[in-house]
Amino acid sequence: MGPALVALGVVFVYSFVEVAHYSLYAGSIGQLTYVGFSNYRELFIDPQFVHAMFNNFRLLFTVPIVTILSLALALVINTTFRGVRAYRAIVFVPYILPATAMGLSFSYILQGNGILDGLLKNLHLSFLIHDWLGSPSWVMFSIGSVIVWQQFGFGVVVFSAALLAVPGETIEAARIDGANWWVVQRKILIPQIHRIIEFFVILQAIIVLSSVFTYIYVLTGGGPGYSSGVMEFFIYQNGFENGSIGIASAAAVVLLALASVLIAIYLWVRTRAAKEVN
Amino acid sequence: MNWKVLATEASTSTRSKSMAGRRVAHRLIAMFCVASLGLAMAVAPVAGSASAAAKKTNITYWFWGEGDIPGITKWMQQRIVTYQTLNPGVSITLVPQSDSTIIPSFALAAQNKSGPDIDTQWATLPVLLPALQGGVTPISKYVKSSETSKWLNTSENEYKGALYAMPLYVIGVPLVWNKKLFKQAGLDPNKAPTTWGEFLADCAALKAHGITPLGMGNKDGDFGAWMFAIYEKQALNSISQLTEGVANKGNDQAKLLASLTKMYTMFQGLMSKGYINSNVASLDFAQGWQLFPQGKAAMSFTTDGNALAWAKTIGQANIGVGEPPIWGTGTLAKTYDATQSSSEFITSWSPNKKADAKFLAWLHTPSNMVALNKETGAFPADSRFPKSNITNSLAKTLDGFDTAGTSIWLENFIPPSIDTSADRPAGQLITSGGTAASAVALWKQQLQLWQSQQPTQFNQFKTWAGASS
Amino acid sequence: MQHLRNTLRHLLLIFLCIISLYPVWFMLSTALKSQNNYVLNPMGLPYHPTLANFGSVLTNWPLLVWVRNSLVATVVSVLVSTIISIMAAFAIVFSRARGRETLFRVNIALMAIPSVALLIPMYMLMIKFHLINQLPSAILFYIGLLIPFSIFFLVNFFREIPIELVEAAYMDGAPHHRILRSVILPISGASTVTLVIVNAIFVWNELLVALVFLQSNSARTLMSGLTLYQGRYLSNEPLLMAAAFMSIMPLGILYVFGQRFFVRGLTAGMGK
Repeated sequence: MGPALVALGVVFVYSFVEVAHYSLYAGSIGQLTYVGFSNYRELFIDPQFVHAMFNNFRLLFTVPIVTILSLALALVINTTFRGVRAYRAIVFVPYILPATAMGLSFSYILQGNGILDGLLKNLHLSFLIHDWLGSPSWVMFSIGSVIVWQQFGFGVVVFSAALLAVPGETIEAARIDGANWWVVQRKILIPQIHRIIEFFVILQAIIVLSSVFTYIYVLTGGGPGYSSGVMEFFIYQNGFENGSIGIASAAAVVLLALASVLIAIYLWVRTRAAKEVN
Repeated sequence: MNWKVLATEASTSTRSKSMAGRRVAHRLIAMFCVASLGLAMAVAPVAGSASAAAKKTNITYWFWGEGDIPGITKWMQQRIVTYQTLNPGVSITLVPQSDSTIIPSFALAAQNKSGPDIDTQWATLPVLLPALQGGVTPISKYVKSSETSKWLNTSENEYKGALYAMPLYVIGVPLVWNKKLFKQAGLDPNKAPTTWGEFLADCAALKAHGITPLGMGNKDGDFGAWMFAIYEKQALNSISQLTEGVANKGNDQAKLLASLTKMYTMFQGLMSKGYINSNVASLDFAQGWQLFPQGKAAMSFTTDGNALAWAKTIGQANIGVGEPPIWGTGTLAKTYDATQSSSEFITSWSPNKKADAKFLAWLHTPSNMVALNKETGAFPADSRFPKSNITNSLAKTLDGFDTAGTSIWLENFIPPSIDTSADRPAGQLITSGGTAASAVALWKQQLQLWQSQQPTQFNQFKTWAGASS
Repeated sequence: MQHLRNTLRHLLLIFLCIISLYPVWFMLSTALKSQNNYVLNPMGLPYHPTLANFGSVLTNWPLLVWVRNSLVATVVSVLVSTIISIMAAFAIVFSRARGRETLFRVNIALMAIPSVALLIPMYMLMIKFHLINQLPSAILFYIGLLIPFSIFFLVNFFREIPIELVEAAYMDGAPHHRILRSVILPISGASTVTLVIVNAIFVWNELLVALVFLQSNSARTLMSGLTLYQGRYLSNEPLLMAAAFMSIMPLGILYVFGQRFFVRGLTAGMGK
C-alpha cells in the first residue's frame, strides 16, 4: 500500500495543489509574478479558451453515436455464425492503434483534394467534397469521426461480452412466449446490460473531455486559426509553446473541475449499481 | 428476471474462463517479457555507442534550413563528418527541426534551460528575445571580430554592440511563375507581374483558363506568416510602426491593426476570387509548394533555394522569377524580402561554448561556403565567397534581388510567441474562409494576452524596440 | 429469408472491417510506393512495390533509438506500476485496514483525471530534479498515471476470488506476502496479462507527456519522434507512412498473438 500512496501522492495530490498555486501567477518559469485570480477572469473572456471548451462539449456528440452504433452492431452479431470472432477482432483493431500514427494517415485521407475527396469524386458524389481539416465548419466533425472510428470497436467488444453473459434461458423463455427479435433486444437484452451501457457512456464522455490531445495535435495543430482547439490543447499551447504557465494552470484547474463533475456522476452510478446487485 | 442470479452466473462464467486461461496467460507473460527484453537488447548497441562517446565533447545542434534550402541538411551532415575527423575529440549530434517545431521546441527548451548546445532560430527577435531572457550567449564573445566582420547580414542579430548569432546563407523570397502555364492562359510568359493590378489581371486570366494561379499551403500557418512578412511590410513606413504597435505605445496599436485590416482584406480577396488553391488550408507549407513543380499551380511565393530546385524539375526555360508584386503604399514597399533566416547561436547552458563557437566559425571557411553553394545553390552569407561561383543565370538574377538594396523580413520583428499565437492563426483564418476583421481581432486579443501573461518579456521587448528604432 | 439476412450481415461486417482497416492499408500501400508513384496515383495499389522507404527511415532516422526508448519506458513503467498495484489491491481487498473502501473510491476518481492537468506541476518538478530530457522523467509520470486504473482493475479481480481460499491460508498462519505469492498470484495470471497489455498500449501510444518531457532526440519515444518528423516530411508521404507503419507493427504483432485473450480480458474490467 505504501508505494502506491507515495506515487499517487506525488503525481496527483502534489500536482493538484501546485497547479492551483501556479494558476495565480503570470510569466514563464523563473520569472513568475503573482497576479491573484486575474488569470481566471482572463480565461473566460479569452475567445480561444471559450471556443476550446465549446469544442470539448461538441465532441460529446460522439458519445451517443459511438454507443448506439457499437451497441447496434453488438446486437446484430450476438449469435454464433461463421467468422464472427474474426470480424469482431478486426473491428477492434483501431482501438489499440496509436492515435499519432493513425492521425498521420488520416491527415492525408482527410486533407482537401485528398484521398476521401478523391473517392467521393470517383463515386460521383462531388457535392460531398470538403476540405475536411481545413474548413472551420467541418474540422470538428472530422476529428469527431476519427474518434468514433477509433472507439467503435471497443464498444462492440464491450457490449458483445456483456451480451454473451446474459443467460440463454431468459431469451429462450421470451421466444417461447412469442416475442420477436426486436422485442427480445429491446425488452430483454438491452435492459440486462444497461449498467455496462452507462459505464461505457461515462467512460467515453471522460475520454472526449480529457484525452483527445493527440488527435488535435497530429491532425490540425488546433487550426485553422484556433477552430479545432480543445482545453487540453489550450493548456499545452499556452503553457509550453508560449511559456505562459499561469493561464495554462488556470485552464487546467477549470478542466479538473469539469472532469470532477463526470467523475462524481461515475461514482454515483457505481454506487447505485452496487446497491442494485445487493 | 432476477438481477442477482444473473450477476452471479455472469461472474462465475468469467471466473472459470479466467482459470482456463491461466496457462495461456503464463505463456503470454513470458513471451512478452522475452520479446521486449530481446528487442531492447537488439537495439542496445545504440545506447552503448552513446555512452562510449560520453568522454568526448558532445555538441547537440538543433538545426533548421531545409525549408529554405533543400539539401542544406545533407551539406551540414557532411560538414559534421569532416569536422569530427579533423577533431576526433568532438562529437556533434544534428537534430533537424521542421518549420512547425523550430519556435516551440526552443521555447520549451529555454524554459528548462536544457536541450541544444547550438540552436537555430530565424533572425532578429526569435534570437534576441531569448537572448534578453538569458538563453543565448553572444557569439561575438567567442569569435573574433576579424572573422565576424566577414559575415553578411550580421546586423539582423546585433543588439547593444553584441552579435548573438551566425548567418549561414542569405535568402530572398521571389515570386516564381510557370511560363508554360502563362502561355496557356494567353499571357506573356516573360513578363513578371510587378504592380498589383498586373498581378490580379494575371490571376484572373489563369483562373479563366482553369489554372490555379497561386499554389501555397497554410495548414501550419507559414503562408499566412509570409503574407504578413511581405505585404504587411509594404503597408508600413518604418519598422517602428510595427514594434511600437506591438509594444502598445499610445494609439500605435490601433494604427497597426488598421493596416493589418487592409492587408488581410487584400488576402481574403485573393481567397474569395479563387486565386489560391482551394485546399490551401489543409496542405502544409511544403506540401503546398509541391503544386508548383507538379505543374498544378502557375505561381508561388518561394525561396531562392526552392526556385533553383524547381528550375531543375520543370526546366529552367519554363520558370520565371520576379520580386513580389507591389501592393502597399508604405515606404517599405520598395524593400526586398531577403534575410539570413536561419541564425545559428550558442545557448547559455551549453557546457562547451568555445567548442561550439569553433565549430560554427569553421563552417564559414571558404571551402565549406563554396561547397554550400555548389551542393544546394544557396548564397553563402560570407563576403569571402567569390561571386564568380554563381554562374547559373537564374541564380544570378536571384542573387541580384537579394543584394540590390535594403531587405526586410517583417516576421523577424515580432516576438516568436506572437508569431505562433497571433500571426499564424490569423493567416489560417483567412485561408479557411474567415474575415479580415476576425483575423485582426485575433491579433488584438493575443497581443493583449501576451502583455498580461508575459510581463517580463513584454518589457524586454519594449526596451529592445526603443533601443533599435 | 434467413439466407438473405445472413448475407446482409456479412456485407455489413465486411464493410465495417474495410473502414476499420483502410487507414492502415493506406499507410502500408503508400509506404510501398515511390514519391512519384504516390503523386500520380495516391489511391491505387503499389504496382511497383519498393522497400526503399523503410530502408531510408531505418538508416536516416533515429528510429531504433526511439523504439528502444519506447520499449524501455513501456517495460519499466508497466512492470513497476503493476507490482505496486498488486500490493495495493491486495491490501484493499484482503486486509482489514480502515478506510480502504474510501481509498478505493478516491482511486477510482483519480482514474479519470486528465493527465494534461498534472503536466505543468510535474514538468516543474522534473526540472527541479534535472530529469527533463531523460527517460526516467516520463517513466515516473507514467507509473503514477497507470496506478489508479491498475488498482481498480486488480481489486475487481481479487474480489472475485473466493474469500475462503484466503481465509484458509490465514488460518494456517501464512504471512501476507506468502498468501499473495502462493494463493493470489497463481490464479491472477490471466488478469495480470490483460492489465499489462492494456497499460503497455497506453504507454506505447502516449504522446503528450513524451512531447513535453523528452525533447532531445536521443530521449524521444517513438510517438513523439514521429511528430517531430511529421513537419519535416509531410510532403514525402511514402516516407512518413513507412515510419508510421513501423510504429504500429509491434502492437499489430502483439494483437495477433494475444488477441482473443486480450479482448476477453479487457472487457472483464469494464463496469464493475
